[in-house]
Amino acid sequence: MTIFTAHELYSAIEEKEDFLLLDVRNEEDHKRFSIEGPNEVMMMNIPYFDFIEEPEEMVAQVPDDKPVRVVCAKVGSSEFVANLLEGLGRENVSHLDGGIISWGNLLVSKRINSESDDYEVWQFNRPGKASCSYGLVFEKEMFLFDPSRNVDYYLQFAESRGAIITHIFETHLQADYISGSPKIVEMTGAVLVAHDGDYSEALHKYHSVTDGEEINFSTEKGPAVSCVHTPGHTPGSMTYLIGEKYMISGDTVFIVSIGRPDLGKMVVEWAQMLYDTLHRRISVMPDDLIVLPGHYTDWEAEADSEYRIMNDFATVKKMNEDIYSIAKIDDFVTYIQGNMRNQPEIYGQIRQVNFGKLTPCENEQNTMDLGKNECAASKHGGIENA
Amino acid sequence: MKEHDDELDCSGLNCPMPVLKTKLKIDKMDAGKVLRVITTDPGACNDLPAWASKVGHEILSNCEEGDKYVFYVKRGA
Repeated sequence: MTIFTAHELYSAIEEKEDFLLLDVRNEEDHKRFSIEGPNEVMMMNIPYFDFIEEPEEMVAQVPDDKPVRVVCAKVGSSEFVANLLEGLGRENVSHLDGGIISWGNLLVSKRINSESDDYEVWQFNRPGKASCSYGLVFEKEMFLFDPSRNVDYYLQFAESRGAIITHIFETHLQADYISGSPKIVEMTGAVLVAHDGDYSEALHKYHSVTDGEEINFSTEKGPAVSCVHTPGHTPGSMTYLIGEKYMISGDTVFIVSIGRPDLGKMVVEWAQMLYDTLHRRISVMPDDLIVLPGHYTDWEAEADSEYRIMNDFATVKKMNEDIYSIAKIDDFVTYIQGNMRNQPEIYGQIRQVNFGKLTPCENEQNTMDLGKNECAASKHGGIENA
Repeated sequence: MKEHDDELDCSGLNCPMPVLKTKLKIDKMDAGKVLRVITTDPGACNDLPAWASKVGHEILSNCEEGDKYVFYVKRGA
């Protein structure tokens, strides 16, 4: 029986390989979270228990003109269905090692800056969450921004660059995924950098970052990180500028849309804060800054030709003219209110985990952490709740 | 303890085994009879009811007993 990893699945989607993805989870789980990648995937959902009931009929429904990759929650049912397909004469059948959870936790790294620079900027894309974390490597040190729970990946990455992680920057307290920071801090002794506006309630030790602060590598060489307080999505939201070239914008500026300011339930106050931030702090930034956002929702609109989620700030402003051109604070609040939608219930619990107040077991964390983000302010920039 | 006609313990088994074993067992029972199914696989908690409603069996009740999930499945016609 052939198996494939989540990373191999990602590569197959990126390289536009012709195959059928057969999701054998129940219909509800499939609807709640399914595999999305940088290109369209031909997908079918037939629960494994339908294969149990009517094996021949169900196998007949699966097209036989292309390779079939089978996916389930863990691994048992996809193996079962893959075996059944092979037993009934199908060739070119494989199934996902580790199930949908391994897809949910997958990170894909892409170099952002030029190979000739003396420092490295990396994007760690998490397709299952449609979120991005970042790494800045200079000589033997690495700064990490907004890491998710796949901490081994970051540690191995740092090792592969011959560097150690010395600082972890949080752009804000995440509500849609469990942060990997506390674990990495515990394992490496790195300094956690976060703003009081979000983290004062947290039980973790952190360096309280202030607006205008600059954080340097220990040698005082290489690019500095300039910290800009950009409240709105949350009161403690930060934007980190790397060497005046890159804008790690967290959930404030997205390539399409901006971060929604209603997750804290204080819609009007936070929307007003965000308006102020956009006009006084964000819009005044240089046009040639490269925006590196915390989330995306649409690969086609937001990724470049190398499947990196990035664009220059001038283009970002043009793409979101409907938002940036709003000239009155009341109109902005109205826009936000008009685009509001429910947030997933689990977000409240994820915040508690990120505060360090709740410590679910690994299995529970896997379940809590699964699913695409719901962080964009505009409806077109996000999926609706079922 | 609810009334049931037969029992199936799937403790320690993961998908697809709980649904598969339940099907094999209940197929041999008469319509209207109740099978008590015990599973430790959280994945089965969504799958058993989804499967049952598709094939016409009825889940009379389900509950958690410690780290086990217990389902009472009534065989359909």
